Amino acid sequence: MIGLGKDPGFKVPENYFEEFNKRMLDSLPEKEITEVEKPQEQKATVVDKPSMWVRVRPYLYMAAAFAGIFGMVKVFNMYNGTDISELARGMDDEKNAEELIMSGTSEYDILNYEDSVMMDAAGEELKSVTK
Amino acid sequence: MASRNTYDEAQVIEQLRDPAAARTAFGKVIEHYSSTLYWHIRRMVFNHDDANDVLQNTFIKAWTSIDHFRGDARLSTWLYKIAINESITFINKQKAQNNISIDDDDSFLVNQLESDEFFDGDAAQLKLQRAIATLPEKQRVVFNLRYYDEMKYEDMSEVLGTSVGALKASYHHALKKIEAFLQEND
Repeated sequence: MIGLGKDPGFKVPENYFEEFNKRMLDSLPEKEITEVEKPQEQKATVVDKPSMWVRVRPYLYMAAAFAGIFGMVKVFNMYNGTDISELARGMDDEKNAEELIMSGTSEYDILNYEDSVMMDAAGEELKSVTK
Repeated sequence: MASRNTYDEAQVIEQLRDPAAARTAFGKVIEHYSSTLYWHIRRMVFNHDDANDVLQNTFIKAWTSIDHFRGDARLSTWLYKIAINESITFINKQKAQNNISIDDDDSFLVNQLESDEFFDGDAAQLKLQRAIATLPEKQRVVFNLRYYDEMKYEDMSEVLGTSVGALKASYHHALKKIEAFLQEND
Protein backbone atom coordinates (compact mmCIF):
# COMPACT_ATOMS: atom_id res chain seq x y z
CA MET A 1 0.00 0.00 0.00
CA ILE A 2 2.82 2.35 0.88
CA GLY A 3 4.95 0.78 -1.82
CA LEU A 4 8.28 1.16 -0.06
CA GLY A 5 8.91 -2.38 1.04
CA LYS A 6 9.31 -3.59 4.57
CA ASP A 7 13.01 -3.12 5.08
CA PRO A 8 13.41 -0.08 7.32
CA GLY A 9 17.13 0.14 6.58
CA PHE A 10 18.25 -0.68 10.09
CA LYS A 11 21.19 -2.96 10.79
CA VAL A 12 22.96 -4.31 13.85
CA PRO A 13 26.63 -4.96 14.70
CA GLU A 14 28.00 -8.32 13.65
CA ASN A 15 27.07 -11.21 15.96
CA TYR A 16 24.99 -8.76 17.93
CA PHE A 17 22.24 -11.19 18.95
CA GLU A 18 24.60 -14.01 19.96
CA GLU A 19 26.61 -11.63 22.11
CA PHE A 20 23.53 -9.93 23.46
CA ASN A 21 21.96 -13.24 24.52
CA LYS A 22 25.09 -14.27 26.39
CA ARG A 23 25.61 -10.86 27.98
CA MET A 24 21.96 -10.62 28.94
CA LEU A 25 21.92 -14.00 30.65
CA ASP A 26 25.09 -13.14 32.59
CA SER A 27 23.70 -9.79 33.72
CA LEU A 28 20.40 -11.11 35.05
CA PRO A 29 20.14 -10.26 38.73
CA GLU A 30 20.17 -13.15 41.13
CA LYS A 31 16.71 -14.06 42.23
CA GLU A 32 16.19 -14.84 45.84
CA ILE A 33 15.05 -18.38 46.00
CA THR A 34 12.61 -18.42 48.82
CA GLU A 35 12.45 -21.93 50.08
CA VAL A 36 9.16 -22.89 51.57
CA GLU A 37 9.77 -23.29 55.26
CA LYS A 38 9.15 -26.74 56.49
CA PRO A 39 6.38 -26.84 59.03
CA GLN A 40 7.74 -27.27 62.54
CA GLU A 41 7.67 -30.81 63.68
CA GLN A 42 4.72 -31.46 65.83
CA LYS A 43 5.58 -31.80 69.45
CA ALA A 44 5.38 -35.30 70.81
CA THR A 45 3.33 -34.22 73.80
CA VAL A 46 -0.34 -34.43 73.09
CA VAL A 47 -2.26 -31.44 74.31
CA ASP A 48 -4.93 -32.57 76.83
CA LYS A 49 -8.55 -32.08 75.90
CA PRO A 50 -10.12 -29.29 78.00
CA SER A 51 -11.75 -30.65 81.13
CA MET A 52 -15.52 -30.67 81.68
CA TRP A 53 -15.21 -27.83 84.21
CA VAL A 54 -13.36 -25.62 81.72
CA ARG A 55 -15.98 -26.23 79.05
CA VAL A 56 -19.01 -25.68 81.31
CA ARG A 57 -17.57 -22.73 83.28
CA PRO A 58 -18.68 -19.90 80.91
CA TYR A 59 -22.29 -21.15 80.90
CA LEU A 60 -22.31 -21.41 84.68
CA TYR A 61 -20.99 -17.83 84.99
CA MET A 62 -23.70 -16.61 82.64
CA ALA A 63 -26.45 -18.44 84.57
CA ALA A 64 -25.13 -17.02 87.85
CA ALA A 65 -25.21 -13.48 86.45
CA PHE A 66 -28.86 -13.87 85.37
CA ALA A 67 -29.79 -15.32 88.76
CA GLY A 68 -28.10 -12.36 90.50
CA ILE A 69 -30.01 -9.82 88.40
CA PHE A 70 -33.29 -11.61 89.04
CA GLY A 71 -32.61 -11.69 92.80
CA MET A 72 -31.76 -7.97 92.88
CA VAL A 73 -35.06 -7.11 91.15
CA LYS A 74 -36.98 -9.22 93.68
CA VAL A 75 -35.26 -7.55 96.65
CA PHE A 76 -35.88 -4.08 95.18
CA ASN A 77 -39.61 -4.82 94.77
CA MET A 78 -39.90 -6.24 98.27
CA TYR A 79 -38.53 -3.02 99.86
CA ASN A 80 -40.76 -0.78 97.73
CA GLY A 81 -43.87 -2.84 98.40
CA THR A 82 -44.83 -2.85 94.82
CA ASP A 83 -43.45 -4.28 91.75
CA ILE A 84 -42.55 -2.43 88.62
CA SER A 85 -45.42 -3.72 86.55
CA GLU A 86 -47.90 -2.57 89.18
CA LEU A 87 -46.30 0.88 89.29
CA ALA A 88 -46.52 1.10 85.55
CA ARG A 89 -50.19 0.19 85.66
CA GLY A 90 -50.79 2.81 88.36
CA MET A 91 -49.12 5.52 86.39
CA ASP A 92 -51.27 4.62 83.50
CA ASP A 93 -54.42 4.67 85.66
CA GLU A 94 -53.47 8.00 87.27
CA LYS A 95 -53.06 9.56 83.88
CA ASN A 96 -56.40 8.16 82.81
CA ALA A 97 -58.07 9.37 86.00
CA GLU A 98 -56.70 12.89 85.60
CA GLU A 99 -57.96 12.96 82.06
CA LEU A 100 -61.37 11.75 83.23
CA ILE A 101 -61.59 14.37 86.02
CA MET A 102 -60.31 17.27 83.97
CA SER A 103 -62.46 16.52 80.96
CA GLY A 104 -65.74 17.55 82.69
CA THR A 105 -64.30 20.41 84.78
CA SER A 106 -64.41 24.06 83.82
CA GLU A 107 -62.01 26.74 84.97
CA TYR A 108 -64.76 28.16 87.16
CA ASP A 109 -65.09 24.84 89.01
CA ILE A 110 -61.36 24.77 89.66
CA LEU A 111 -61.38 28.29 91.14
CA ASN A 112 -64.35 27.39 93.35
CA TYR A 113 -62.51 24.27 94.49
CA GLU A 114 -59.41 26.26 95.37
CA ASP A 115 -61.48 28.85 97.29
CA SER A 116 -63.23 26.14 99.29
CA VAL A 117 -59.89 24.52 100.15
CA MET A 118 -58.54 27.84 101.31
CA MET A 119 -61.68 28.50 103.36
CA ASP A 120 -61.40 25.09 105.02
CA ALA A 121 -57.78 25.75 105.86
CA ALA A 122 -58.60 29.12 107.31
CA GLY A 123 -61.43 27.59 109.36
CA GLU A 124 -59.08 24.96 110.74
CA GLU A 125 -56.55 27.61 111.63
CA LEU A 126 -59.24 29.70 113.37
CA LYS A 127 -60.37 26.68 115.33
CA SER A 128 -56.87 25.97 116.56
CA VAL A 129 -56.41 29.57 117.62
CA THR A 130 -59.73 29.73 119.52
CA LYS A 131 -59.13 26.45 121.41
CA MET B 1 18.64 -21.58 14.82
CA ALA B 2 18.86 -25.11 16.15
CA SER B 3 17.82 -23.85 19.58
CA ARG B 4 14.82 -22.07 18.03
CA ASN B 5 13.60 -25.34 16.60
CA THR B 6 13.88 -27.09 19.93
CA TYR B 7 12.14 -24.31 21.82
CA ASP B 8 9.12 -25.74 23.62
CA GLU B 9 7.17 -22.89 25.22
CA ALA B 10 5.02 -25.06 27.49
CA GLN B 11 8.13 -26.77 28.84
CA VAL B 12 9.97 -23.47 29.25
CA ILE B 13 7.04 -21.97 31.19
CA GLU B 14 7.04 -24.97 33.48
CA GLN B 15 10.80 -24.64 34.04
CA LEU B 16 10.41 -20.91 34.77
CA ARG B 17 8.24 -21.85 37.73
CA ASP B 18 10.96 -24.05 39.17
CA PRO B 19 13.49 -21.82 41.02
CA ALA B 20 16.30 -24.26 40.30
CA ALA B 21 15.65 -24.35 36.53
CA ALA B 22 14.30 -20.79 36.02
CA ARG B 23 17.57 -19.14 35.03
CA THR B 24 18.40 -21.66 32.35
CA ALA B 25 14.83 -21.54 31.06
CA PHE B 26 14.97 -17.75 30.88
CA GLY B 27 18.15 -18.08 28.83
CA LYS B 28 16.06 -19.99 26.28
CA VAL B 29 13.44 -17.22 26.36
CA ILE B 30 16.12 -14.60 25.67
CA GLU B 31 17.53 -16.64 22.82
CA HIS B 32 14.10 -17.18 21.30
CA TYR B 33 12.68 -13.67 21.59
CA SER B 34 15.64 -11.26 21.57
CA SER B 35 15.64 -10.73 17.82
CA THR B 36 11.86 -10.25 17.45
CA LEU B 37 11.68 -7.86 20.39
CA TYR B 38 14.81 -5.99 19.31
CA TRP B 39 13.38 -5.16 15.90
CA HIS B 40 10.10 -4.03 17.39
CA ILE B 41 11.92 -1.80 19.89
CA ARG B 42 14.31 -0.55 17.21
CA ARG B 43 11.39 0.61 15.05
CA MET B 44 10.07 2.50 18.05
CA VAL B 45 13.28 4.20 19.22
CA PHE B 46 15.18 4.15 15.84
CA ASN B 47 18.69 4.21 17.32
CA HIS B 48 20.60 0.93 17.83
CA ASP B 49 22.18 1.80 21.19
CA ASP B 50 18.84 2.94 22.57
CA ALA B 51 17.15 -0.21 21.28
CA ASN B 52 19.87 -2.28 22.95
CA ASP B 53 19.25 -0.53 26.31
CA VAL B 54 15.47 -0.88 26.06
CA LEU B 55 15.78 -4.55 25.14
CA GLN B 56 17.97 -5.15 28.20
CA ASN B 57 15.44 -3.36 30.40
CA THR B 58 12.66 -5.45 28.89
CA PHE B 59 14.36 -8.73 29.75
CA ILE B 60 15.37 -7.59 33.22
CA LYS B 61 11.80 -6.52 33.93
CA ALA B 62 10.48 -9.82 32.58
CA TRP B 63 12.98 -11.76 34.71
CA THR B 64 12.27 -9.88 37.93
CA SER B 65 8.51 -10.16 37.49
CA ILE B 66 8.36 -13.65 36.03
CA ASP B 67 6.32 -14.75 39.07
CA HIS B 68 3.51 -12.45 37.84
CA PHE B 69 3.37 -14.14 34.46
CA ARG B 70 0.08 -16.00 34.12
CA GLY B 71 0.49 -19.33 32.43
CA ASP B 72 -2.77 -18.94 30.50
CA ALA B 73 -1.35 -16.03 28.44
CA ARG B 74 1.31 -16.50 25.81
CA LEU B 75 4.84 -15.59 26.74
CA SER B 76 5.22 -13.60 23.50
CA THR B 77 2.16 -11.48 24.36
CA TRP B 78 3.53 -10.74 27.81
CA LEU B 79 7.02 -9.90 26.49
CA TYR B 80 5.59 -7.64 23.76
CA LYS B 81 3.60 -5.76 26.40
CA ILE B 82 6.74 -5.18 28.47
CA ALA B 83 8.78 -4.16 25.41
CA ILE B 84 6.13 -1.66 24.27
CA ASN B 85 5.84 -0.15 27.75
CA GLU B 86 9.60 0.10 28.08
CA SER B 87 9.88 1.74 24.64
CA ILE B 88 7.23 4.34 25.44
CA THR B 89 8.79 5.01 28.87
CA PHE B 90 12.17 5.51 27.17
CA ILE B 91 10.72 7.90 24.56
CA ASN B 92 8.95 9.93 27.24
CA LYS B 93 12.21 10.21 29.22
CA GLN B 94 13.99 11.38 26.07
CA LYS B 95 11.29 13.98 25.50
CA ALA B 96 11.65 15.24 29.07
CA GLN B 97 15.44 15.46 28.72
CA ASN B 98 15.11 17.41 25.45
CA ASN B 99 12.33 19.70 26.77
CA ILE B 100 9.86 18.32 24.27
CA SER B 101 6.19 18.19 25.16
CA ILE B 102 4.87 14.70 25.80
CA ASP B 103 2.06 15.48 23.31
CA ASP B 104 4.48 16.24 20.46
CA ASP B 105 5.28 13.52 17.95
CA ASP B 106 8.53 11.52 17.97
CA SER B 107 10.14 13.16 14.93
CA PHE B 108 13.11 14.22 17.06
CA LEU B 109 14.15 10.55 17.27
CA VAL B 110 14.64 10.31 13.49
CA ASN B 111 16.79 13.44 13.23
CA GLN B 112 20.00 11.56 13.99
CA LEU B 113 19.12 8.52 11.93
CA GLU B 114 20.95 9.80 8.84
CA SER B 115 24.25 9.86 10.68
CA ASP B 116 23.59 6.58 12.51
CA GLU B 117 26.25 4.00 11.60
CA PHE B 118 23.64 1.27 11.96
CA PHE B 119 21.27 2.76 9.42
CA ASP B 120 21.99 2.06 5.78
CA GLY B 121 18.63 2.96 4.32
CA ASP B 122 18.21 5.17 1.29
CA ALA B 123 16.31 8.46 1.06
CA ALA B 124 12.97 6.71 0.53
CA GLN B 125 13.46 4.50 3.60
CA LEU B 126 14.49 7.50 5.67
CA LYS B 127 11.40 9.39 4.49
CA LEU B 128 9.18 6.49 5.49
CA GLN B 129 10.73 6.46 8.97
CA ARG B 130 10.14 10.22 9.22
CA ALA B 131 6.51 9.66 8.24
CA ILE B 132 6.08 6.88 10.82
CA ALA B 133 7.63 9.08 13.51
CA THR B 134 4.87 11.67 13.04
CA LEU B 135 2.25 9.17 14.26
CA PRO B 136 1.07 9.22 17.87
CA GLU B 137 2.96 6.54 19.84
CA LYS B 138 0.07 4.10 20.18
CA GLN B 139 -0.78 4.40 16.50
CA ARG B 140 2.88 3.86 15.71
CA VAL B 141 2.86 0.67 17.80
CA VAL B 142 -0.20 -0.58 15.89
CA PHE B 143 1.35 0.33 12.55
CA ASN B 144 4.66 -1.38 13.35
CA LEU B 145 3.02 -4.54 14.70
CA ARG B 146 0.84 -4.85 11.61
CA TYR B 147 3.06 -3.56 8.82
CA TYR B 148 6.45 -4.92 9.88
CA ASP B 149 5.69 -7.78 12.30
CA GLU B 150 2.56 -8.79 10.34
CA MET B 151 0.86 -9.59 13.62
CA LYS B 152 -2.77 -10.69 13.46
CA TYR B 153 -5.28 -8.19 14.80
CA GLU B 154 -6.52 -10.78 17.31
CA ASP B 155 -3.00 -11.20 18.73
CA MET B 156 -2.49 -7.45 18.69
CA SER B 157 -5.73 -7.08 20.63
CA GLU B 158 -4.30 -9.32 23.37
CA VAL B 159 -1.05 -7.37 23.52
CA LEU B 160 -2.61 -3.91 23.53
CA GLY B 161 -5.89 -4.67 25.29
CA THR B 162 -7.81 -2.91 22.49
CA SER B 163 -10.67 -4.25 20.37
CA VAL B 164 -9.93 -5.60 16.90
CA GLY B 165 -12.22 -2.98 15.36
CA ALA B 166 -10.38 -0.13 17.06
CA LEU B 167 -7.03 -1.57 15.96
CA LYS B 168 -8.18 -1.82 12.34
CA ALA B 169 -9.38 1.77 12.45
CA SER B 170 -6.10 2.87 14.04
CA TYR B 171 -4.04 1.10 11.35
CA HIS B 172 -6.19 2.60 8.60
CA HIS B 173 -5.68 6.13 10.03
CA ALA B 174 -1.95 5.49 10.34
CA LEU B 175 -1.71 4.44 6.69
CA LYS B 176 -3.62 7.52 5.56
CA LYS B 177 -1.35 9.83 7.58
CA ILE B 178 1.80 8.18 6.24
CA GLU B 179 0.57 8.38 2.66
CA ALA B 180 -0.35 12.04 3.15
CA PHE B 181 3.12 12.75 4.61
CA LEU B 182 4.86 10.99 1.71
CA GLN B 183 2.81 12.92 -0.85
CA GLU B 184 3.44 16.26 0.86
CA ASN B 185 7.17 15.59 1.03
CA ASP B 186 7.52 14.17 -2.47
